[in-house]
Amino acid sequence: MTMIARMSAALLVSLAVGLAGAAQSFAKDFIVTGVKPDKLVVVDTAARKVVNTFTIPKAAPGPVTITASPDGKIAYVIVNRWESVSGIDLATGKQVFRANLSGGDMRVKAMFGMDVSPDGKQLAVYESPVKLMPGEYQVQPTRISFYDTATSKRIRSIPVPRQITIIMFSKDGSKLYGMGRALYVLNPQDGTVIKRHETQKWTRANFAPPDILDVWSQWEQANTFSTPYYTARTDKKPDDPTAYWTGILTLDLASGEFKLKDVENTDVFYFSTVVSPTNKNHVFGVYNQLAKLDVAQGKSIKRVDLEHSYYDINISSDGKEVYVGGTMSDIGVYSAETLKKIGTIKMPAGANMAISSMRVIQR
Amino acid sequence: MKHLKPANAKAAEFTRAAEEGREAEVQLMETMVGCTATLDPGWEVDAFGGVAALCQPMEADLYGCADPCWWPAQVADTLNTYPDWNAKAPAAQRDWRKLQSVFPDESS
Repeated sequence: MTMIARMSAALLVSLAVGLAGAAQSFAKDFIVTGVKPDKLVVVDTAARKVVNTFTIPKAAPGPVTITASPDGKIAYVIVNRWESVSGIDLATGKQVFRANLSGGDMRVKAMFGMDVSPDGKQLAVYESPVKLMPGEYQVQPTRISFYDTATSKRIRSIPVPRQITIIMFSKDGSKLYGMGRALYVLNPQDGTVIKRHETQKWTRANFAPPDILDVWSQWEQANTFSTPYYTARTDKKPDDPTAYWTGILTLDLASGEFKLKDVENTDVFYFSTVVSPTNKNHVFGVYNQLAKLDVAQGKSIKRVDLEHSYYDINISSDGKEVYVGGTMSDIGVYSAETLKKIGTIKMPAGANMAISSMRVIQR
Repeated sequence: MKHLKPANAKAAEFTRAAEEGREAEVQLMETMVGCTATLDPGWEVDAFGGVAALCQPMEADLYGCADPCWWPAQVADTLNTYPDWNAKAPAAQRDWRKLQSVFPDESS
């Protein structure tokens, strides 16, 4: 082969390799969230703008928990006074799944907890039923119901403890975790409590039972659930500010490892937290402040005031950007390194996100 | 029963239930069937007894609390009884003037 022929061949090979590389370009992050009274919103995080606004049929007063199918193509949303789940195709905006939970004399509310199985075939919904009788309401046992995502039909239900607000499949789908008065490890086939990680009944000497309030599903980026807890030293006086402690609970959904780590004296609250996908020792918390917390060393790294309260927090796949949302009509974008504000994404028609989830998908 | 007329709503329920053979299902309720049973601080004062740790501004918290029925009776029950209370006011900070008081339906 002549020199020129060899060089041309090499050029062609490198061009082919380059083109193949372009075809395998990395998937982008999108945020999926909801606004009142009935909208599902898709945000291109890099472009800092809303790219789709879909109307969810019969959804008022507003969307609540959102969970995305593993392939990022469908968003399942609790709607309709928490008595229905709608699945919206994120390419077309069409409703491709609908489960209406109430019927006859049973009123069933989906109280926040919802997750889709790792194979995408089943949707698990935490349900609180009540029987409406002529002169009384008869509270029924709580359950998790499983719906076939292809047909919207209920496959089965399992009895589970009351007061669970977050449910999460383990990475391999063999377990279902429930955050309630304890963090329960459940058998998704029959509801057997395989294990309890104690929170409210913990036996920490000289510490009061922790307070945990978590209604925000947002663990997908690091595949690690996290939530703040608040406790107090019982060996200190109640008016001693150093008695009060904030900690972070984490649950690795792949390994099942459960940890509790105190991080700072309580002087502010966080509603919800998210674990960094690139450094699992870093957890970000949000409410009136945005904080970066180190759960290995048990300390606060940095904290900034926010322009208003937010409920939700999530993070980019490269761990560089933190998103704060929920409550009002904007998503704030912050540097994960410096906590400086670097962007704002306004919601369509200025509507409130309120109690809607804010999830990150890749496509 | 034919000589007795129901004098209040509960008695009317009993009469209806008796006609269906379901008298045992009409019971005197011992608790208020209201929107919420939670009394943790969150609107009037924060956990520290002040206001700095409340949601800022107040409107940021309005629907996040009203829609899940967080407070005892301060706002309408959108979860069950008044689902359209904030239907015309999707942004609390902008639309709060459109929110109305609600009153019991006298026909029920």
